[in-house]
Amino acid sequence: MSPSSPGTDQIETLLWIGFVAAAIVVVAVVVGLVYALRRYRAQRGAEPRPLAGGRRVQLRVGAVLTAFAAAILVLSIVFTDRARERPPTGTAGLQVAHSEPLQIAVTGQQWLWRYDYPNEAFSYYKLVVPVDTAVELNLVSTDVIHTWNVPDLAGKADAVPGKTNHLFFRADEEGSYFGRAATLSGQAYAAMRAEVEVVSPQTYEAFIEQRKNEIQAAQDRVVGLVEGGEVP
Amino acid sequence: MSAANGQPELVVDGFPPQRPRWVQIATSADHKDIGRVMVVAALGFLFMALVELLLMRLQLAIPENTFLAPVTFNRMLSLYGATAIFLFAIPLALGLLYYVAPLQIGARGTALPRLGQLGMWLYLAGATVLYTGFLYTPSEAGVNPLPPLSGIAFLPNNGVDAWCAATGLATLGFVLIAIDLVATLRTLRAPGMAWRRLPVFSWAAAICSWLLVAIGPVMLAAITMLLIDRNFDGIFFAGDAGGSPLLWEHLSWIFFSGAYALILIFALAAIAEIVSALARRPLAGRGVVIGSLAAIAVLCTLAWMQNMLTAPIGIGWMYFAMTMALALIVPFGLVFFNLIATLIGGAVQMRAPLLFAAGAIVSISIGLAAEIEHSMVAAAWQLKNTVDATAATHFALVGGGVFGGFAALHWWFPKMTGRTMGESLARFSFWTMALGMLATFVPLFLAGGFEGEVIDAYKYFAGEGVSTYNLISSIGAFVLAAGILMTLVNAILSREGGAEAGHDPWGGDSLEWFALSPPEPHNFDQLPDVRSAQPLHDIRAAIGHRTARAEARPRESQPVA
Repeated sequence: MSPSSPGTDQIETLLWIGFVAAAIVVVAVVVGLVYALRRYRAQRGAEPRPLAGGRRVQLRVGAVLTAFAAAILVLSIVFTDRARERPPTGTAGLQVAHSEPLQIAVTGQQWLWRYDYPNEAFSYYKLVVPVDTAVELNLVSTDVIHTWNVPDLAGKADAVPGKTNHLFFRADEEGSYFGRAATLSGQAYAAMRAEVEVVSPQTYEAFIEQRKNEIQAAQDRVVGLVEGGEVP
Repeated sequence: MSAANGQPELVVDGFPPQRPRWVQIATSADHKDIGRVMVVAALGFLFMALVELLLMRLQLAIPENTFLAPVTFNRMLSLYGATAIFLFAIPLALGLLYYVAPLQIGARGTALPRLGQLGMWLYLAGATVLYTGFLYTPSEAGVNPLPPLSGIAFLPNNGVDAWCAATGLATLGFVLIAIDLVATLRTLRAPGMAWRRLPVFSWAAAICSWLLVAIGPVMLAAITMLLIDRNFDGIFFAGDAGGSPLLWEHLSWIFFSGAYALILIFALAAIAEIVSALARRPLAGRGVVIGSLAAIAVLCTLAWMQNMLTAPIGIGWMYFAMTMALALIVPFGLVFFNLIATLIGGAVQMRAPLLFAAGAIVSISIGLAAEIEHSMVAAAWQLKNTVDATAATHFALVGGGVFGGFAALHWWFPKMTGRTMGESLARFSFWTMALGMLATFVPLFLAGGFEGEVIDAYKYFAGEGVSTYNLISSIGAFVLAAGILMTLVNAILSREGGAEAGHDPWGGDSLEWFALSPPEPHNFDQLPDVRSAQPLHDIRAAIGHRTARAEARPRESQPVA
């Protein structure tokens, strides 16, 4: 993974903090256990030392563990809050999205994603967003639970029927980003992908314009067919 | 002759006719028979789970494989989840607890034996439903069948109904057995066996039973709602009709989180017994360990939303789940610390159960350490539903259920059969399993953590950078399976051919080692006075004391009886 938005930068840092915490735990347990088993292996009939320590040792170990857990908790909250910050649209971004993020409705369905842009344009499979622009995804599902997942741009979020989930990101660089849906959603689940294309604001606006024209042309054609007495 | 002593005369016209052995076991309400049936059945389903795991790993060995059709893969996945959790891990833990705890507290049986028997039969009925369902259409909805996917609209065949019936029957059975255990532990403790003198494993029996009584009905409610939704036009989980799919997630994760805790509590308590007996000293921080196990049951269940960190539930709930999950570091840490502290300074006998116990400690600690990262909210947004989570769950639950379960099996096998399991095969099996475990699941950590490979998928693509990881993992799964099979074979061979064990092969301190191996149907003819947490240690000390005194005295004076 290579983080390409302010939020995923923070998540990446937190992931490494978590990795270090996990490594400390594993190393402590394995070293202690292997030392104990190798050093104190005894012949049958050997006498053990009486138990030492007592309440004070337990309290100390408990205090160390509590401090460790509290440190992880605090760091997690700090970095999670940073990752949740809504990054503002930058100077290179789409100008209309300066006051509030670009709203895009994301609909999960078996087994593709539909994206509805502000100006009545929509697209399937591929999400096109302008670079350096704050984007808010509003996720719902029309059938089963899906998880939208493009690791480089944002965390995962479930699309659940009847309840809207939200995701914010701001792509730092133009390019294509991929991810695979992450909740078992039926037979073609493994082929369900998410693709985000980050483009310049001009290209984005041209894309929206083109989509609107295409959609309008398709609607006109259907209306024309119906009015002409043909079933489309 | 007895009449001459003023005793009533007992007249016997020969022995009562022996019924066939299977009829005797099937109708027995003896906790030892019930426990043994559950252990044997659980090990059988461990074998089935292995077969299903290997089929899935074969499909995932190379990218875009077509060995299994997507439907078949999803069926294997669903079957594997239900088998591993409901038919293997919980019944193995519960079966051993149910066998051992009444012996440890010096009871002659359980308080509500017919309830326990019904529980066992409900578990077997659930298993039968799941596997006869397998003959026509198994569920395709995955390990946890989330609605709406598990709803009638998306899976109209009866697979999910069979899943509901199977897991529902088994869960009800577990709850009944738990109720019997609670009643037994409360009412049938031997004179002197105060709660503070109860062995750790019996404490685990009490904690696990209370836990099951709490979480079992939650799962039963969820399953009932799903059945109503599917068959009687219910809308409990229909998001567009006033229900909520998230309700199922909450209820089912409460159960699964509790079950996770149950398996680990069982394993850690068994390990505590083994460690203290084979280090020849009492468990360090006994009270702290017991308190920690109880805390694990509570905190782990309360951390259920740790599984829902990508669902639309609000950041406050996510922080609540994270706090509960991270708080688990303290009790788990204290248990690990005290297990190792018991070994340090002990006279450690490196027998097979201790080897498996050590493997379980390492495996569980890896799984729990990885779970720390899955509890850190923003980190979980990346890691959730990747194969990193698969690896974390398997390190913890295979560590507890299989390594810990095998440690307990080797430990109490002599009590159950009168014979010990072959030591060299056990060692060979252990090292094979350890190698297989690392080879299977460490690559999944890497594939999930670095490449974000998603969970439950029937295929991946060549360009995703996960091909090598998956190939190693598939090979490792076969090594792991070979290791597990060796222990299963060892158990079968040792049942008749193992070395005769005697009543106390390990020098244990708790009362089950006072009974014969295998114990009489009534467990004990008589019991020693319980004056401490280690009644057998007290007896040995008293005998040693008297022998020493007798040797010190001149020959003519007899030791006082």
